[in-house]
Amino acid sequence: MHRPAARALCLGVALALLAAPALARRHDPEKLPEIRIRDLHYGDALFYYYQHDDFEALTRLAAYDHWNRMPHHADDAQLLMGGLYLALGMHNEAGRRFEALLKDPVPSGVRNVAWFYLAQVWYVRGYLDKAAAALARVNGRMSPELESQKELLLGNVLIHQGKFDEAIRLLSTWRGTYNWSAYARFNLGVALARSNRLADADPFLTGVGTMLASTEEQRALKDRANLALGFAYLQANEPAKALPALERVRLNGPYSNRALLGTGWAEASLGDYQGALGPWMELRNRNVLDAAVQESYLAVPYAFGKLNANAQSAEYYESAVESFDAENGRLDAAIARIGQGDMLKRVLTSGHSGTEPYGWFWQLKNLPDAPESRYLYTVLAGNDFQEGLKNYRDLVHMSELLERGGYDMEAFEDMIETRERAYAERLPKVDTLLASGAVAQLQQRNVDLTGRLQTIEARRDLGALGTEAERDQWARIQRLEAALAGAPDTPENADLRQRLALVKGVLYFRLNDAYSARLWEEHRSLKDLKLALHEAQSRWIRVEQARRNVPTNTGEFATRIAALKVRIDALATRLAATEQAQADYLASVAIQELEDQKARLASYQVQARFALGGMYDRAANAGATPAKAPAAEQKGAGEESPAETPAPAAPVPEAPPSEVPPPEAPPPQAAPSEAAPPKSTETPR
Amino acid sequence: MSLQRPDGPAARDRRSRVRVFLKCAAVALLGAGTAALAQRGYDLIARAAPDFTLHAAAGGNVRLSEHRGEVVVLSFWSSGCGTCRRQLDALNRSFATYRSAGLAVYGVGLDDVPERALKYARGVPVGFPMLLDPDKAVGRAYRVDNLPMTVLIDRSGTVRNVQRDFSAKSDDLYLQQLRVLLNE
Amino acid sequence: MPDALPNRESVRAVTGLRRASAAVLGCALLAAAQLAAAAPPAAAAAPAPAAAPPAAAAAAAPPDTRGLDEQVQGLKKDVVDLNRDLFVLEEELLFPANTQVAVFLAVDVGDFFALDSVQLKIDRKEVINYLYTPREVDALLKGGVQRLYLGNLKVGQHELVAFFSGKGPNDRAYKRGASIKFEKGIGAKYLELKIDDRQRKLQPEFEIRDWE
Repeated sequence: MHRPAARALCLGVALALLAAPALARRHDPEKLPEIRIRDLHYGDALFYYYQHDDFEALTRLAAYDHWNRMPHHADDAQLLMGGLYLALGMHNEAGRRFEALLKDPVPSGVRNVAWFYLAQVWYVRGYLDKAAAALARVNGRMSPELESQKELLLGNVLIHQGKFDEAIRLLSTWRGTYNWSAYARFNLGVALARSNRLADADPFLTGVGTMLASTEEQRALKDRANLALGFAYLQANEPAKALPALERVRLNGPYSNRALLGTGWAEASLGDYQGALGPWMELRNRNVLDAAVQESYLAVPYAFGKLNANAQSAEYYESAVESFDAENGRLDAAIARIGQGDMLKRVLTSGHSGTEPYGWFWQLKNLPDAPESRYLYTVLAGNDFQEGLKNYRDLVHMSELLERGGYDMEAFEDMIETRERAYAERLPKVDTLLASGAVAQLQQRNVDLTGRLQTIEARRDLGALGTEAERDQWARIQRLEAALAGAPDTPENADLRQRLALVKGVLYFRLNDAYSARLWEEHRSLKDLKLALHEAQSRWIRVEQARRNVPTNTGEFATRIAALKVRIDALATRLAATEQAQADYLASVAIQELEDQKARLASYQVQARFALGGMYDRAANAGATPAKAPAAEQKGAGEESPAETPAPAAPVPEAPPSEVPPPEAPPPQAAPSEAAPPKSTETPR
Repeated sequence: MSLQRPDGPAARDRRSRVRVFLKCAAVALLGAGTAALAQRGYDLIARAAPDFTLHAAAGGNVRLSEHRGEVVVLSFWSSGCGTCRRQLDALNRSFATYRSAGLAVYGVGLDDVPERALKYARGVPVGFPMLLDPDKAVGRAYRVDNLPMTVLIDRSGTVRNVQRDFSAKSDDLYLQQLRVLLNE
Repeated sequence: MPDALPNRESVRAVTGLRRASAAVLGCALLAAAQLAAAAPPAAAAAPAPAAAPPAAAAAAAPPDTRGLDEQVQGLKKDVVDLNRDLFVLEEELLFPANTQVAVFLAVDVGDFFALDSVQLKIDRKEVINYLYTPREVDALLKGGVQRLYLGNLKVGQHELVAFFSGKGPNDRAYKRGASIKFEKGIGAKYLELKIDDRQRKLQPEFEIRDWE
């Protein structure tokens, strides 16, 4: 990840806040103290975080936050999200979150870490006073790892603010591994040197310059410290002290050229031009694109001149002029091509992405096979370019991450459409059914029937339970009875009455006989009906509920999908535009650097020509060809005065004593499994 | 091959992608560096390499997506295939050379009889992991229609090249391609 | 070559300083050189401008870098938001809350335990067979809790059966299983699988816990 410090801080957070008091089981020194996860989804985000997949972790935290699935880890989640925003280069957003967090009544442990993070944010933005103020708000001790990081951050802030004495005091008592404070010590040494406190600077720079370095990053820092000290002494006219420092610089490393140049100058300052020729000749054989090498093109003939080897001096001056001319031509061509925009695109398009940083990109071997590549090497080394490049690469990386998410909007839309169609078919029926109130009606009927049955039972209404035929008969019998009731007492009528009574008796008998059974049947049917009704009722409720859900589901989804598509397209446009702006900016930086090179070359050419001119003039005046003397000769023959060749100017670009903030901040000491130091080395920038 | 369900970035890769949006420059230039090889209708070229997790013969599991950032070579073999052995040996040489530049090589065994594949894998002296694909799901995902078949995947997880069969000529082409991808 | 380019702002802050110091150093070194050689004043004058261009360049600072940086940050934030919204949409669409079931995996073992795979069956049907890489195992051991499986189930009784296999210290292989019957109501159901070795100090066991 490109911001290891924030990652390390995040881990520190996780430990500091959530660790149950030292429940490390079985004393495994590698194992982190147990973190009690009380919300499963928070644990899931951590699962990705621990795999260094910051983007995924952040996405999940944000989503789970949206669904309120991490109620027990509200503060922790906010802190972690803030840290991740910081790690992913969005320090504005990170700052916002920390500030918001601090407005709430959060426990002091959380407050402290939030203030510490905020200090980091301010530092990144360059607001050092605010950074210092934020650090001062940390009230009470945080975990040891965070404490030591805090000290370092404070140290860097003090250095930037020019409060060197405080910084010295702080760094002298800093507890932690030397390697991690090396950056702070380096910065302090450089700052002191620049303030003409070389005596104070020496122990710091020498300390870093002689430290045990096991990684490339450390070795580079060591070289830098030695280079800075050496040049500082040169500047202070103490060449004898400069030499030992410069000689500690590796012969083959990013700083070797400048060290060689400085060594030569130290020797020259001590009067030993023979000695100076050693490093300068070595330097002269190196890549002419390097400023130090260019200077050696002038320094070598200068030394020869001092040794009275004027013929060789002239030769080398001429050679310098030629080389510079050639270089100038190539520079022009390179500038033109960069201006066209092609080359940069090819450099900037890295196929590299993923969860690990793209450190390997910075190596020369990865430049495309084009003549202009050699210039890009120097261009790439520039800070502005590097920063801009980082932005660009972040954008590329992000867009790849998003694309890799594999969200298939069309598939979603299909899904929605299918659902909608299905609903469109069924919904009207459902609605009609629901509107019909069928269940309620059934319920009512059930009630009615139950009531009726009860009444029948209460009255022992035999007729009610009869068959249709029987009820008809009964009804007819009753009508006849009624009719006969008012009839005169004739023998026919008496006969009729008798027969009627008989039929009625038979019917009655039948009804009575069947009554119990029938009653039982009715009861049973009613029971069945009740059960069926109950089921129908629950199903009814479910259908109602589903129906209620329907409008929110599809309609809302369709809207959301449409909105997301718009955002995706808009984002794509903005990304393209910003990438273009970034690329343009990088091109301008590149061109600027190349123009600078041109200017430098031009001045060297002037000097070389001037020196040559001077030599020819003198030779012409002396009337004799300059005697060739082997380089070994100290005294030139036939010349009275040492050749008056001008000393080449030595504006050294990328002046060694430049401040270098540490790689984000050191890792928590107690979490070796996090292995943050290797993070820096994984990005050999 | 594990039955990965839709949770996690790995699973998402497998769903068909639509143009959410793409790095135009990257895409355009991806093609630029690729050698023009007769790819004989391998439709995974320039598409995202299907993710998978497989067991290694020597133990442990390997997931392709964890190796983004490296150039990945997948070489499909089976215990019965003689040429495969030569292919694997050749790959072993380039693996030794370019490993430090970020090259990852995996042999993927497609065998009808899993025990044979395991035995074969353990017997081949190569420095890279030999993975086993007993249900041949990865083989299907990568449309393996010939053995040996070697697929080159770039650092961002896109399939760039495929070699069907193995010969001195194809090995040269492979090395050329490999250097291009490693330089990205 | 600058190593360790962390804080862009702070580096930018010192860029100006650096350029100025380059100018200073340039002149200073020139002065040093002058001491050593009797350089004609004319030559001395000539190099001075060489030191100037870098400083001048710093004065004519590159275009609107801060503005661009803000732009980039804003863009990044939008990408993150978009990704979140897509994540949310997808889950709500495919695994709506009322049918969602999620199975999580946590590992809590003291001694080293290399998890190899976990297999889940729901209602007798295999739903996932997940192979673990060393990176993932490490994340689990650190305390991460993986959301292993996400699916949909109807309301009612269901059964989850889980197996894990792996290697303990001394390369000893383990395979264990566990099962749970659970009731799916309306609303998401979360189940947690835990591999831990609290019970018997010698071997890791499987526990399943219903979180609702």
